[in-house]
Amino acid sequence: MTHPDSDPTATIERDLRAVDAALEDGAATHGDPLARELQELALALRADAAEPGDEFSAALGQRVKAGFPAAPGSARARAEGARTWLRELREDMPPPRRMLPAAAGLVTVVLIVVGLASVDLQMTDSSDDGGSGGGGASVAQDSGGGGGGEGGGKAEVAPGAGSGAEALRRAAPPGPSGFAPGTPRRRVERTISMTLEAPDAEIPRVGQEITQVTNRHGGFVLSSSLDTNDDGASGYYELRIPAGRLRPALADLAGLATVSSQSQSEQDVTRRHVTAQDRLEAARAERRSLLRRLELATTDEEAEAIRRQLDIVAAEINGLRGLLRDLRLRTNYAVVTVELSGSGEDSGGAGAGGAFDDAVDDAGDLAVGLAGVLIRIAAIAVPLALIGALGWAATRVLRRRRRESVLA
Amino acid sequence: MNWTHVRSRGVSEAVAERMPVRTGTEAESFAALYERTFPRVYAYVMSLLRDRSAAEDVTAQAFERAYRKRGSYRARRGTLEAWVFGIARNAALDELRRRGRRAGLENEPVDEAAPTAEDHAELALRRETVRAAMSALDGHERDLLSLKFSGGLSNAEIARVLGVSETNAGTRLHRAMTKLRKACDDAS
Repeated sequence: MTHPDSDPTATIERDLRAVDAALEDGAATHGDPLARELQELALALRADAAEPGDEFSAALGQRVKAGFPAAPGSARARAEGARTWLRELREDMPPPRRMLPAAAGLVTVVLIVVGLASVDLQMTDSSDDGGSGGGGASVAQDSGGGGGGEGGGKAEVAPGAGSGAEALRRAAPPGPSGFAPGTPRRRVERTISMTLEAPDAEIPRVGQEITQVTNRHGGFVLSSSLDTNDDGASGYYELRIPAGRLRPALADLAGLATVSSQSQSEQDVTRRHVTAQDRLEAARAERRSLLRRLELATTDEEAEAIRRQLDIVAAEINGLRGLLRDLRLRTNYAVVTVELSGSGEDSGGAGAGGAFDDAVDDAGDLAVGLAGVLIRIAAIAVPLALIGALGWAATRVLRRRRRESVLA
Repeated sequence: MNWTHVRSRGVSEAVAERMPVRTGTEAESFAALYERTFPRVYAYVMSLLRDRSAAEDVTAQAFERAYRKRGSYRARRGTLEAWVFGIARNAALDELRRRGRRAGLENEPVDEAAPTAEDHAELALRRETVRAAMSALDGHERDLLSLKFSGGLSNAEIARVLGVSETNAGTRLHRAMTKLRKACDDAS
């Protein structure tokens, strides 16, 4: 056994035991003089403890017995009233176990509503973003925009992505509000490819309706082909649709048959447009300058040289005008190619089996959507919870330190 | 016997040891705790504040706070006494900060129990010496000694109140007592 004198820890333990013994016995009796001194000190300290006054003891004792009643009309009394009301309300309610099914039902409904809202938001997002972000399970978007002022975006809808109108909304190009901040008017070329699937017998009718839809929205059919034979039916349409009418036009096209695939690409040509405009302005200014110089020319050689320069500048101006016209045409009208594909069925082919498949697909989409919502919620909630926990811990430490600062 | 438990939000039932509260007699069971701890809590608060009036206010405030929060007590965090002393300590430190009474801790204590004619001269002298020696200690050490000797807490309970390990509390207590003894020797 280690002797206390040679081991500080043993000394401390011995002294603490001695102090506790003295406090218990009320006497300093330890054999070691130093330990006995500590015992005496402990007894002196305890004897020096202040005692509460009788009046105060009685008053506080009464309040304890009464349960610390709040003064009538005080904020605490009102809060207590509210708590009592809540407690009574809770007591009146059925036991939690009975409420469990109802609560579970409510949670399920809320989850479904949130899921549906999220899926809807997802669609709106992808149509508004114009190729940036997205992230839905069946929509893969790739943003190529940006850096140099020109860029392209591409959106695709996987085959069998569901009903046509919804799928189209996901890949629809941005509306007028999709311009990048700081750029008052962007020039974007849009190209949309879609494949519509319909029973062979329906292909000619769908082809006609494609033309009608295009005309109705102020566009035109650049080229078309329709092929119907014993092997099946197919068609190909290349359309130009005004950019401002693109979204409703695509929705109408998608409503004609089942959209089996769809892709969209965008090319931001704002920079090229602006550059061409600047160059055109510069060329015009140069032309004006040359004309003034021509008026002032004093010799034939000088005038001839200026005319040659004027010819060059005129050619440049024409070329730039053509380029700007071409750019405007390409950005004012979206290129939409529609491929018609026969499904090999007659028009009554979508029977109960198809409905079941659709239902399964929809259920899958819903599940994916819900999972996405949950992941998003977790992505927000987990970091927030961590930050909250850290903040709570830091606050506790800081509060303790601040409190104890008066002891320092 | 009809017993209910006070629940705490966010604490699993499996890990939380809850303070049993007897239905209809909550005030009664709290009264027992009050009876057990009141004089010691008062003595402890008084040792920190050195002001009878303030000590009474803070003691009453601490017990009222404990009464209101009695549902949040968890046995795994320490004894009821340690819990009540923790509340009292926080209230006393808040009071000190609020009043800017930092000097109060460093000054000589108010002579609450001045030796009377009946007191033994040696005891009175000893008491005076100890009080004078206490001023040589810093606030933390005085707080520690007050918890031990005015509050009558065990080392484990002191550790809970201060948020340190029991060993650490014991070591600090020993150091403070040794320092106090030396100060007493120097003073005498």
